[in-house]
Amino acid sequence: MMHSLIQLSIAVLLLPLLSFVVLIFFNRRLPRMGDFVGVGLVGTAFACALTIFWQVVVQHYDPAFRVAWEFTWLDFGNVPGVGPLQVKMGIVIDNLTAIMLAMVTLISTLVHLYSTGYMQGDPKYGRFFAYLGIFTFSMIGIVLSDNLFSIYMFWELVGLSSYLLIGFYFYKDSAADAQKKAFLTNRIGDIGMWLGILILYSQFHTFGYREIFENIAAGKFNMSNGWLTAAGILLFMGCVGKSAQFPLHVWLPDAMEGPTPVSALIHAATMVAAGVYFVARIFVLLTPDALHVIAFIGAFTAFMSATIAITQHDIKRVLAYSTVSQLGYMVLGLGVGSYSAALFHLLTHAFFKACLFLGSGAIIHAMHHEQDMRWMGGLYKKMPWTFVTFSIATLALAGLPLTSGFLSKDAILAGALGFAQVEGGGIYYLVPAFGFAAAVMTAFYMGRQVWLVFFGESRTHLKPAEEHGHDAHAAHGHDDHGHEDHGHHEVHEVPWNMRLPLVILATLSVFIVFSPDPLDGGKGWFMHLVQTPATVVASTEAAHEAASLHAPEAGKLLAEAHTDNQHVEAAATHQTEGHGPVYADPRQAEIAHMTHANHFPAIQLSSLMLVIGIGMAFIVYVFRIIDPDKTAHSIRPLYLYSFNKWYWDEIYDATFIKGSMLISKILAWFDANIVDGIVNGIATIFRKFAFANGGFDKYVVDGLVNFTAFTVQTTGAVFRKIQTGKVQTYLLMVVVAVLAYFAFYIAQLIK
Amino acid sequence: MLSLIVFLPIIAGLVILVVPASQKQIIRIVSLVAALAQGVLAVLIWRQYDPTMAGIVAAPGGSPVGSFQLIERIPWITLDLGSFGPLTIEYFLGVDGLSITMVLLTALISIIGILSSWPIQKQVKGYFILFNLLSTAMMGCFVALDFFLFYVFWELMLLPMYFLIGIWGGPNREYAAIKFFLYTLFGSVFMLLVMIGLYFSVVDPLTGHHTFSLVAMADQANYVKGTILGPGSEQWRYIAFAVLFVGFAIKVPMFPFHTWLPDAHVEAPTPISVILAGVLLKLGTYGMMRINFPLFPEVFQAGMYVIGVFGAINIIYGAFCALAQQDLKKMVAYSSISHMGYVLLGLAAGNSEGMLGALYQMFNHGTITAMLFLLVGVIYDRAHSRQIDKFGGLASYMPVYAGVVTIAWFASLGLPGLSGFISEAFVFVGAFREPITRPIAMVSVLGIVFGAAYLLWSLQRMFLGKRKPDALYELEVDSHGHEHIHFHDWKGKLDLDARELTMLVPLAIIIIALGIYPMPVMGLLTTSINKLVQVLAPVAISAVH
Repeated sequence: MMHSLIQLSIAVLLLPLLSFVVLIFFNRRLPRMGDFVGVGLVGTAFACALTIFWQVVVQHYDPAFRVAWEFTWLDFGNVPGVGPLQVKMGIVIDNLTAIMLAMVTLISTLVHLYSTGYMQGDPKYGRFFAYLGIFTFSMIGIVLSDNLFSIYMFWELVGLSSYLLIGFYFYKDSAADAQKKAFLTNRIGDIGMWLGILILYSQFHTFGYREIFENIAAGKFNMSNGWLTAAGILLFMGCVGKSAQFPLHVWLPDAMEGPTPVSALIHAATMVAAGVYFVARIFVLLTPDALHVIAFIGAFTAFMSATIAITQHDIKRVLAYSTVSQLGYMVLGLGVGSYSAALFHLLTHAFFKACLFLGSGAIIHAMHHEQDMRWMGGLYKKMPWTFVTFSIATLALAGLPLTSGFLSKDAILAGALGFAQVEGGGIYYLVPAFGFAAAVMTAFYMGRQVWLVFFGESRTHLKPAEEHGHDAHAAHGHDDHGHEDHGHHEVHEVPWNMRLPLVILATLSVFIVFSPDPLDGGKGWFMHLVQTPATVVASTEAAHEAASLHAPEAGKLLAEAHTDNQHVEAAATHQTEGHGPVYADPRQAEIAHMTHANHFPAIQLSSLMLVIGIGMAFIVYVFRIIDPDKTAHSIRPLYLYSFNKWYWDEIYDATFIKGSMLISKILAWFDANIVDGIVNGIATIFRKFAFANGGFDKYVVDGLVNFTAFTVQTTGAVFRKIQTGKVQTYLLMVVVAVLAYFAFYIAQLIK
Repeated sequence: MLSLIVFLPIIAGLVILVVPASQKQIIRIVSLVAALAQGVLAVLIWRQYDPTMAGIVAAPGGSPVGSFQLIERIPWITLDLGSFGPLTIEYFLGVDGLSITMVLLTALISIIGILSSWPIQKQVKGYFILFNLLSTAMMGCFVALDFFLFYVFWELMLLPMYFLIGIWGGPNREYAAIKFFLYTLFGSVFMLLVMIGLYFSVVDPLTGHHTFSLVAMADQANYVKGTILGPGSEQWRYIAFAVLFVGFAIKVPMFPFHTWLPDAHVEAPTPISVILAGVLLKLGTYGMMRINFPLFPEVFQAGMYVIGVFGAINIIYGAFCALAQQDLKKMVAYSSISHMGYVLLGLAAGNSEGMLGALYQMFNHGTITAMLFLLVGVIYDRAHSRQIDKFGGLASYMPVYAGVVTIAWFASLGLPGLSGFISEAFVFVGAFREPITRPIAMVSVLGIVFGAAYLLWSLQRMFLGKRKPDALYELEVDSHGHEHIHFHDWKGKLDLDARELTMLVPLAIIIIALGIYPMPVMGLLTTSINKLVQVLAPVAISAVH
């Protein structure tokens, strides 16, 4: 008997698929092109997901909650050398799944609702909802999967839906380029992920998470430890692609070619976070070495994309780089071992970033497809709802206390500090350093954005004429949904179906939703329910040594931290209640301790960063003490480096893309001229030989035949002379012949 | 039953022979009825087939027909050769897991092929007679269990194919046809020699006479010591394996014997391309699985690495060549080379996952590539050109076509949820599991990226963006501002018409259904594949138990 939660989760999975199937075939035959089907079915899925959330998170409230169900998908029979082999598929529902399900379906529902306003009048309105449906289906599949094979399948399917939605305006070349780039870049990550899956399968003949973890814990991984690290890093490559981490981050900013609701749903809140979710699912098999790689990649990505975000003009591009940067935080969080903090950030980020994107969509909608912040300004009076919700989300992103973003970001940064100390400082301090630097820049670029968009005077008229002409052309394609033209420069607040999602998402960006204590997410329900699981990888000697080597230092810091009364209390209650996870692995235990110890230093530092960042934004844009244009001019190379996104696109184009095209041209030439040339050459040789043979045949063989004929003819002519036709002559010749024969015979006998 | 399914098309061909050449519609309908009847028979065979019986080889001391099903076995040619004993060639048909899927595929592709031949106007009578002859030969190859019979069907395929390309093909058809003919003939001459060698090395344990039975040949106990290909004759066995392998590899086609394929495809009319890619190429790998590997298991064990390397070359080299093509059909042809590389890689793994992936890939490649070539034919019919760069923006004007193309293209690039993914996935799973092919698998995954690259790029250039300035279609904007396009002299429906949809939709449904739940086809194979793996690795298996 299937658990009722499993039944519900299957409904959550299949309802969006139903929406896709209905809408892709029948959208033109339905009234309103069937948008109500999409909103209704996904809304129902949300209701189911909410029921699951209620039962799991609210009623059970148990960190160890887990329900699983599986079925045999493929049966390979009795495989020689392995025994009976089956590939199973299944669903696992634990706290993380329940939370993710609710989050994904909620944001999807809100985006569906929002799109009924934003996409109105688009000729492919119905198809848009169909694509949203298949996306939601695949995303929920990722969340529910209990094994590597099915997560890989859904992983690529979200890639497909992302491809379809980025290229929704496929008649624009930029959109067609962006969709291809997104798919291919993701595929590069996916082959890494696939190899990681293959390594694990080759050892255990199973794809199930649980079986794999149990086998590793039991020490049945028969390859060297390096292979396990490799498996971890390769699996992480899937996340590098999907979550747009360096060096595969280049696709996400271009993906903004898709309609803005898509950017909110897929390229900010859910799909790009799937990479982080996946790494969390495989977290326990990551070796310390793999975790180091993950931490550094995350930290570098967070830093690099923040530097790019400061100089972008396009409102969506700023948010896109901000998304990359925040995903970097999550990855960093996982890398330093702050599992629950990273996932917490995933959740909080989903809400406030979706709010920001939908808000930017409202602005773009109201501004008639103007996306350049240089020509905006003064919108707060005209769009008060958008302004308030956008600002709340901005503060959450910047990490202001009292917002959700503060709670989760602080937890990650505390983890990063603790990690650096446990690992012995030195180069490992780069990880928190990048994190804090990114925090400064986040505060700065978001302050800049809010100021440029909402404050000051409207700068619409400042837009150079040539850009108008250029833009009118582009705008036709850009977010082209042909709504009726309501006055040229008049800016309106958006209708209720676009406002409601903004309000809900902004509400979900306030601390109280997640934790009663505005300064400590650790007291909230999330951190209680989603706890860092114990690793299944046996600590190597070296790691153990490194951890204990720095124990004194760690102990000192711990003691320091515990002088804070409140903290000691918290720690004490933590222990007496006995639900703090206990780690057998020394390294993991050490990091957990140090993260705890660094809670307040992290709060202080990140608040400082926030003040610096926002202060800088004020100095530059509000008080205009520093002129941004002049500054940009004086540090032009740096400015250009940032503005041109560190030139990664150019570098990749010159190396990988040009290189591949060159190889393909060379190989095609080789194929047509060398390989086929040899084939044709052999044919030619045979033909030549055949001609020679023909000549031989004609002149020699046939010559011989003719010669024979000639000889016979000549002989015949000679003998014709003898052939007189007279019987007497013949008789005489016969007699002579017979006599001669007898003479010969007798001679033989005598011998 | 098997005889019926094999010879139905020939019967149709004989009927057509008496129909006057002017009655084109009757000729077409007769062929279609025969193909449909073949399809019905294939489904009946499928329903009767017991997937728990392995086939492949006779159990020691058991029935000479092993656990093959639907056996038909009668002596065909018997000659007394004096001191050599009687020469017996049997008419021996039967199916096991290896052939049942190929029978289904052949029946399906034949129907599609007939439907797609509908618009052929040139010498319709001759065309359909040859087509039916080809259909019989293909089906015969897959169910023949006597090597000699197999060889007869194998050679019988060449002739109609030669004329079908050489008469109904494109401008350079004679060159392509003769290249195809000679290349394949080259391979089969060697096959003939090996076949004779095998005949004199194998003795049927029941009769004590030499035999051509593949069932008997698959059992190493039946080889006579001291014969040319018997135990103790390692050198000759290696040579025989290699020669046979080349013969089959030409058909696959495997690098460097592949250059006939792009030429043949470019010149062949659409239905012949569908047959060629959909069924004929599978004969190469089928021959390896049925004949080449199980008859020489120890050589196969030694050659796994080399086969795998060639598989990897096919995958990556084919993908790169496809990336550079300007002609859409040539691109699809190279994609076939790339995708048949997965089959080789899976076979090279020599374990159940890899072999299963390979055989399943053969089936899926058949359906997917058939779809690809049909779709190429659609645009060629309308524009009389297949230059990828001469369109642009078609998705705006031919949405149904673009939608079906998207399904086929994504199936070809191995998108999960579509059947090609599962077979490629298990090819990799199998190849990676064996330490010997592991490094090859690690390199071959590049094919996943480059496969996506050429497909998506061609999709973009033809269907996305806007009309190219030098596009092969005209664009008009009517008074309402709606855009209309038309092709130069195309009178039919602009988007896919009913006949085209009749061919494409069932294929798409099969591809999607088998991508979500593969067991209806995969379940037929598992027992046979597991048996085949045992036959191929007797030593390794006994070491495990």
